[in-house]
Formats: sequence, C-alpha cells, structure tokens
Amino acid sequence: MKINTRQVCFILFAYTAASRLLMYPSVLSAACRRDLLFPALVNFVISTLVILSLAILSSRTDKTFYGLLRDSMGKVGARVVFGFFAVYFLLAAFMPIFEHEQYIHAIFYDTTSTRVVFLPFFIFTAYAACKSFTNIGRCADICAPIFAVCMTLIFLMGVGEAKFVTLLPMLKEPPADIIKGVGDTALWFTEPCWLLMFMGHFKYRKGDAAKITLSYAAGALTVLFFLAIFQGIYGGIASSRTFAIARTSLFFSAIESIGRIDLLILFVLEVVLLFSLVLNIQLGVHTAAKCIGTDRLAVVSLVINALFALTVLIFDKYYGAIYELFTGWFWIPSIIFVLAIPLLAWTLKRRKNEKKAG
Amino acid sequence: MKKRLDKGKISSVLYWLLFIALMGLFFTNDFGLMDIHKTSIITAVGIDCPEEEVVVTAEVAVPQPSQSGENIKYTLVQGSGLTIADALDEINSKLGLYPKLQFCQLILVGETCRDKDVFRVLGCFYRKNYSELTTLVAMCEGNASDMLAMKSEVSDRTSEAIRNVLSDEINKSGNAIAQNLKDIALLEYSKSRACFMSYVQPVMPGTSQDGGNGGNKGGEPIPQDEQQGGEQQGQQGQSGQGGQGGEQGQSGGSGGGGGQQGQSGQSGQSGGQTVEFVTHKTAFFSEGHFKGVLDDTQSFALAVLVNKIRVAVLQCDAEDLHYTLGLKYVKSGVDLKVNNGVPEVTISFKAKALIQGVRVVVDPEKIMKDDEVSNVILQSANKEMERCFNGLIEQCVKTDSDLLGLKEMLYKFNNKYYDAFSNDLLSRIRVKYNIDIQSVS
Repeated sequence: MKINTRQVCFILFAYTAASRLLMYPSVLSAACRRDLLFPALVNFVISTLVILSLAILSSRTDKTFYGLLRDSMGKVGARVVFGFFAVYFLLAAFMPIFEHEQYIHAIFYDTTSTRVVFLPFFIFTAYAACKSFTNIGRCADICAPIFAVCMTLIFLMGVGEAKFVTLLPMLKEPPADIIKGVGDTALWFTEPCWLLMFMGHFKYRKGDAAKITLSYAAGALTVLFFLAIFQGIYGGIASSRTFAIARTSLFFSAIESIGRIDLLILFVLEVVLLFSLVLNIQLGVHTAAKCIGTDRLAVVSLVINALFALTVLIFDKYYGAIYELFTGWFWIPSIIFVLAIPLLAWTLKRRKNEKKAG
Repeated sequence: MKKRLDKGKISSVLYWLLFIALMGLFFTNDFGLMDIHKTSIITAVGIDCPEEEVVVTAEVAVPQPSQSGENIKYTLVQGSGLTIADALDEINSKLGLYPKLQFCQLILVGETCRDKDVFRVLGCFYRKNYSELTTLVAMCEGNASDMLAMKSEVSDRTSEAIRNVLSDEINKSGNAIAQNLKDIALLEYSKSRACFMSYVQPVMPGTSQDGGNGGNKGGEPIPQDEQQGGEQQGQQGQSGQGGQGGEQGQSGGSGGGGGQQGQSGQSGQSGGQTVEFVTHKTAFFSEGHFKGVLDDTQSFALAVLVNKIRVAVLQCDAEDLHYTLGLKYVKSGVDLKVNNGVPEVTISFKAKALIQGVRVVVDPEKIMKDDEVSNVILQSANKEMERCFNGLIEQCVKTDSDLLGLKEMLYKFNNKYYDAFSNDLLSRIRVKYNIDIQSVS
C-alpha cells in the first residue's frame, strides 16, 4: 500500500480547505453576495455524497481505479480514460496556478514584482509531481497539523471583526445567482477525483468510509466558516477583496500596534497551499504517465511543468480572460469527472483481487 | 553501477542546491533588489476637489542616511488629475518610486469634495491591492492640503496628531467616530446607503470653546489669515492645475515644499501658528453625497450607538446644579419592528452612572457617595440622552440619511416589508426610547 487512510483523511481535510482560501470566497461573493454560503453548501453536499460513495466502493474492492477500468474496458480503454483525467487534472490546476501567482505578487511583495519570481514554483512542482503516492501521503502528514494551527490562528484573528448578521436575510438573492455561484466555483471541486485515484492505494479497514467522509466534511465546514467570517467582515465589498486569507486577519487589534504578524502565519500556510496546488499537477502527471504507458514520471513531469511555466509567462496578462473562461465553463468537465465518472465507477467489475488477497 | 549511483547522487545534490537557491530568491524578492534610500512611503493623503479634478497631497516618509538613528523625513508632495490614480502617478514622477498606499494610515477628505460623490473620490482606494482598508478616513474643515501642512504641537507629523484624535480610546469614550475605509464602504454598500466619518477641525492650542451643557468641546477656531499661511506653505508643492506636470508643477518633496519637517528634517518648512485638532463633529453622507455635519450632541448620540463605549461623559443639570456623569457598562442598540403597518424604531440605552464632577465646592466627606447618583440626577441624565438621540433622529429624517442603518435592518429582519417601506422609511418611523441610566451602586 502506498498511502494510508489517515493520510487520505488529512488530504481531504487540509487540502480541500487550503485550496479555497484565495479567490474562491470573492468569486462566490461576486455571484451570490449575502448568500455565498449556499452555492458552497450545494457543491460540498454533492461532493461529500460522491466521496461517501467512492469510500464505500473502496470497501468493496482492493483494485485501483486503473485496475477497475482495465478489467472492465481493457487496457486501451483504461488508458484513454486516464488520458482524459490527465487533461482534467491539468486544466483544474491551471486557474489555481494563476490565482496563486497573483497572490504571491500581491501579498508577499511590497513592490511590483516581475513574473520571473514565480517561475521557481515550477521547479518545485516538477520535482513534487514525479513523486509517488507515498510522498503525497507523507506531505499530508506534515501539512494537516500546520494547516490546523494556522487556520485556528487566522480564525481567532478574524472572528472578532466579523458581523455574522451580514449574512442575513438568507436565500433572498435570485436562485439564478446561486446556480451561477455553483457553476462558477465548480473548478475548485476536484476532491472526488483525488479519492478515485487513491482507490486501491490504501488498505480499507472497517469504518474508513465514515472517517474519509467526515474528514472531507470537516474541510468543508472549515471553508464554510471561513466564508462566513470573510463575508461578515467585508459585507457588500467582499467581492472586491481577492485573496481572502490575507484579508481576514487585517483588523485584528494587535496588528495596528505591532504590524502584520499575520503574514508570518500566511508564510507558514503557504506550504500547505503549495502542496494542495501541486496535488492536481501530481495526479495529472501520474494519469498522463499511465495513459502513455511509461514509468518515467520525471520526464512526464518535466514536460508538463515546462509547458505550465511557458503558459503562465504567455497568458499571465490575459488573467481576466482565463478567469472568465474557467469560471464560466469548467462546470461542464466537473459534472463529467467529479460526478458522473465516480458514480459510474460502481458499474465497473470490482471483484476482489483474489490472487493478492490470497 | 557505482559510477551511475555517484552520478545520480551528484545530480540530486545539484538539483537540491538549485532548488534551495531559487526558493530563496522566490521568497525574498532578490530578483528585485531595492535600495532602501530610494524608497518612500506614503503615510497620509489629503484629497481636495477644487473643480473637476482631484488634488492629492501625500505626506511622504523619506528615509535619510543618518548616524543618529532619527532618519526619516516627512514631507508633502502634491499631484493632481481626474482620478486619484492620476494624481498618484504625478507624485510618482516627483518621487521616483511608484507610491503604494500599503502604509497609508489616514485619508483626509477636504471640504471642497462636498459636491462630489465620496465613493467616486475614494474609489481608487478600494481597487484591488491598492491599499488596505484599515486606513482611517475623515473629512476636514477647509482644504485637506492646508490641514496636512499645519503644524501640531502634539506630534512632528501632522497626520499622527490627527490620528491621535481618531484613536481607539476616543472611540471608546464616544467623543469621536473614527471610521476606516472598510467601515464607510460597509455602510455605503448596505441597503441604507449612508455613511459617516469624523469631521476634523483645527483649533488654537490651549484654548477651549465656550459653551454649556456638553457643547464646549473644541477650542477657538484658527483665524483665517493663519490658515492662509498654512495654505501658502502647502501650495508650494502643488502641481499645475488640469494635468500632470503643469507649469507650476514643482515637487514639494525635495525639501523646499510645503509641509512639516520630519524627525530629523532641518529645513523648517512649516513655521506659523501651531494648532490642535478636534473631531467631535461628524460629517455624514447619503448615497455617496455629502449631507451635512452632525453637531457635538448628535455625534455623541451616534457614537454611543455605533462604538463600543468604555466610559462616556454626559453633562446634565439637576436641582439647579451642573453635573458631569461618567457612564460605564454602556449597552445600546437600535431595533426596528413593524407594528400595525408602522415601522417602530426602539433606541435602547443602558448605562451605570457615577458622578465625575459637580459645580459646587467639593465636600471631602461626600466624595465617597459619588457612586450613588440620586434619582433626580438620573432622570435628568435620561432626558439629556433622549435629547441627544432625538437630535440625531431629527437630522436623519430632515436630510433623509439613514445613519442608523434602518433600511438594512428592515431588509435583514423584516424583509417582507422592505419593498413597501424602503423608499420612505425615515418619514414613516415612530421612535421609542428605552433609556435606562442607573446609579453605579
């Protein structure tokens, strides 16, 4: 086994929340204003149910997803599906990379920084993305406690300024806006695909389905609480406050006298944000390698990350158009890869691998 | 095999070294090394709108090479344009560095901006990553550039002297309502669409305004010719009107311009009368437009409703004596309910009072009883508070400015009546006061 249940739980808790701390709150607020919790809730409930179904599916088979596909559709079919997943994972990582680049430039630099400063990120991702699932698990072991401590501190610094009545009245925004919020933020919901890829790589024990689902639910609740604090602080101007995590603690009384101590927390939290961002690239590299039938993950990773770096350099100035494209249309692949395929996985041949079991 | 291993090991070490070096550069911005002596930081801005354009006066901290440790010089630089960004761009051309407003702690809006939509004027500060919304905002009497050019006895930095009278402690006493960019935006972008900010006035140092019951805050106003002196000082740094770098567009940042000297500045720019600043009045806006200035008592009433009060001071007369009461444990709030089709506003105010001053010769034996306030004094205090609240409500109704956030409350808690009442809510309201000031012991 390459990864264990605890690590899967940590990933679903920490990375789920960490990946939604930058643009996600302001995108939701722009679409649904006071009702920003509801599209998030809809997406999370759907994802939680899919994750529960996948966790239960994991209890019924010890095969990997690739194994299930291969036994049901043949090697070629499995490779084709993994090819599509590779494209999906890489596209899902695309917008968050830009988001992260903007965050680094806006928050960590006082002066106007050059685009070059972000490029070392791709050296990191090139290295991390060719590592095995064992490494993903180990990183999660480190990241989850860091994330828990940092978020607790951020919550403590922000909750005093938040006026939760700002969220009232509930469900008064037009339903079309709620639906728009669900669609616009679909690109951040890739977790069911993560679990799909981890299937068969961790040993399922009794009760693991509940643990996995609850971990994801804990991550979702962390995000919902964060959204409530963010909207509670900024109210009608929340949509203009991008990079929410760096804005939440600004009004903590100690900051006025001793300066931006919250930046120390943000620097530490950056580690978790990086690993949560890398995971989609990592899974993209793994699925791409499976698709083309190679074990040389390093080469695949180098090629993919070089392309990413080039894309960032070229398309950096078209961030607005990329944002419109991804928030406007990514719900379509999300329905296919996050909802349809994980549920259809139940139809695949999941007979226990007797040879291994024996 | 051994050779391959060694090669792998070396490449792995090289990879890690490269990675660590690049990450170091990545996190420290060494790709963009900067000379600290070529930087400048805007600590405050004053905004005036003489005609169609915006004139921004920036108080800039310029680091100076110094052995003594006192190495910051504060100076004023002006720029103008159709937007604040235009004006800042001009300031950039004078300073040599793009002025980010991350460290700006005060925005003074001059009286000349009265006719403009305040959020059109301030809009630039809300744009992405331009400045943090923790910056204090206040309106000032006269031109903001003049006020920033005045010299205060409290601090070498005028902006610091103004920020002192907008401090958290003053907020907690109800003597001012310090608002930051976020506060006013939250009010403006609510259903009420009304916001307020402190109104800063300069007064002669060491003076106090004549007056009786609570109306004697402040001091003697600055004579017009003294203000002109400050204005002339300030104008030296002003740019040409109507665009960047006009004929008169000289920088005030190079030592000869208007403004106050910094901690180690030796150029003695300011000169003239020193002033004190008071903020016991409040400028208010509705739908972005200036509506007026709340007087002392109206401001006090608003302050006790919106600020977290620690100890407020209330003056009242009872039994032919003037009493100054300290109000502690203040709990106040506004509630809106719709009863029989009439929107009913309840203003509640609860506090514990103790006597802080009486206009009689002090009797040491009775000092112990200062915590026991008689019912007659308490009733007078209740009436005085009601008078303050009443004045505030009257002003709100008269100017159709929803400073108490009633429309927002209606939308939140009585949503079904919102469409029916939102247009003329203030003219329909019936006000109830629930004021209960008790003796502290």
